[in-house]
Amino acid sequence: MGVPALGSLPSTAEATPRGTELDSGTARTVPPSEDLKTAGDMRTIELTVNGGKYRVSIEPHWSLRQLLRDQLGFTSPKDWCGGLGACGSCTVIMNGRPVLSCLTLACECDGAVIETAEGIAKAKHPIIQAYINNNAFQCGYCTPGFVCTAKALLDRNKNPTEGDIRDALGGNLCRCGTYQRHPPAVLEAARILNRKA
Amino acid sequence: MKTWKKFAHINAKTVDEAASILGAGNAAMIAGGTDLLGTMRFEILPTYPEVLVNLKSIPGLDYIKEEGGTLKIGALTRLDDIAKSDLVRTRYTALAEGAHRTATPHIREMGTIGGNICQLNRCWYFRLPDNRFNCIRKGGKTCYAMSGDNRYHSIFGAVNYCLAVNPSDTAPALVAFNARIKTNKRLIEAEKFWTMAIPGSTVLAADEIVTEIQVPSPPAGSKSAFMKFAIRKSIDFPIVNCAAVIGAKAETARLCLNAVYNIPYRSIEAEDAIKGKAINEANADAAGAAAVASARSLPGERNKWKIPIAKAMVKRAILACA
Repeated sequence: MGVPALGSLPSTAEATPRGTELDSGTARTVPPSEDLKTAGDMRTIELTVNGGKYRVSIEPHWSLRQLLRDQLGFTSPKDWCGGLGACGSCTVIMNGRPVLSCLTLACECDGAVIETAEGIAKAKHPIIQAYINNNAFQCGYCTPGFVCTAKALLDRNKNPTEGDIRDALGGNLCRCGTYQRHPPAVLEAARILNRKA
Repeated sequence: MKTWKKFAHINAKTVDEAASILGAGNAAMIAGGTDLLGTMRFEILPTYPEVLVNLKSIPGLDYIKEEGGTLKIGALTRLDDIAKSDLVRTRYTALAEGAHRTATPHIREMGTIGGNICQLNRCWYFRLPDNRFNCIRKGGKTCYAMSGDNRYHSIFGAVNYCLAVNPSDTAPALVAFNARIKTNKRLIEAEKFWTMAIPGSTVLAADEIVTEIQVPSPPAGSKSAFMKFAIRKSIDFPIVNCAAVIGAKAETARLCLNAVYNIPYRSIEAEDAIKGKAINEANADAAGAAAVASARSLPGERNKWKIPIAKAMVKRAILACA
């Protein structure tokens, strides 16, 4: 078995999300389902996730992670530490910053531009293949968080040093202990990106 | 994952609007939210806010600038931006390093300096989910750490019987720089900003909001440094941290420890020990010893290990200013 090619990677982004995807520019509203109508203080926000525009009805006490997973069907933000902000598994990129989606209120994301690991894989960002080439995961549960954090680093820093990478990934935990593999993977992705540019 | 109980959420447009909502009743303000949302999710406090007032929607509170010899940082400035600011890094090294060593990269991207200095103290009895220990800090009658496991608790005694420590990494730097904290009501010296309040950690009134941090320029030729001891280099709260601002030839010196006491602990003993002396191994060691001369471990001596660490942090912070 060789290393699977990028094209064969399953992408959950292909699954139909339950939220309302808007054609860019047009605003289409789908009424919330019955159980949502009965809840108090609903509000509507618009946000961009992985390039798609969504208009969703949410309640103030929902987390961004809840919105992404339960409403929009993007399941890459994982829950490990239970919402303490201690593991980095739920990392998404919001307006260019890697943030913890479990500690972000969905209602504060109106107008936000969000990128999840699905979007990074769909855009065929070299970080994905670099992670595969370097075996930078074992069980893979923490990987979406690592990938988002690493991609946010590469967006800001075209030539990160190993120290920069260790520093940036310092908030992501991996129970399998793949830490040694991450700096070479991110360095490889940076090399590929710089070659393309 | 535990979900939050319901609350209303208001995006404030101005500081005054936020203050009037906060003054009206059971409301809390949210900026980065990394401390507040954790305490709410796990319901560690006996009360739960009915309304969250979002401060991030207030424009013009996110800046780092130097004006008339004073560094001014807006309260909504993210810790990561402070840590990466060239201005802060070169002239206010201890503050940049304190911001850089706070929590994880993600939390630094979310958390603000205003929130970092206003966060609640840490104690695992106080912070246990579902308000399992209704301790003194929550208005109860007992400090459970006094007779329990207090390995991370105060080494300089209790304030109103509470042994929880202030975990901020930027606070000692602000005290060492003799910073001032501007709110919508007044200007407070950093040294007088923290107090034993229930359940807060600052002198702020319920409808008082931090708007700006003002750090006066350190004297010419001075250097500053920040040292932190934690179990892991990233993620963890400090066991002990220390910031030092030392003038040329050590004519002036300000030193502040944190995570050793209810509030940031300025060590005047260590300052006196190093003032006017050469910065070398022996003098720094003596200053470290002076800093912990009045430190006492709690009954059971579980937190005794923090005393030599505090001494070493003071020593290393001074040596880093050489």
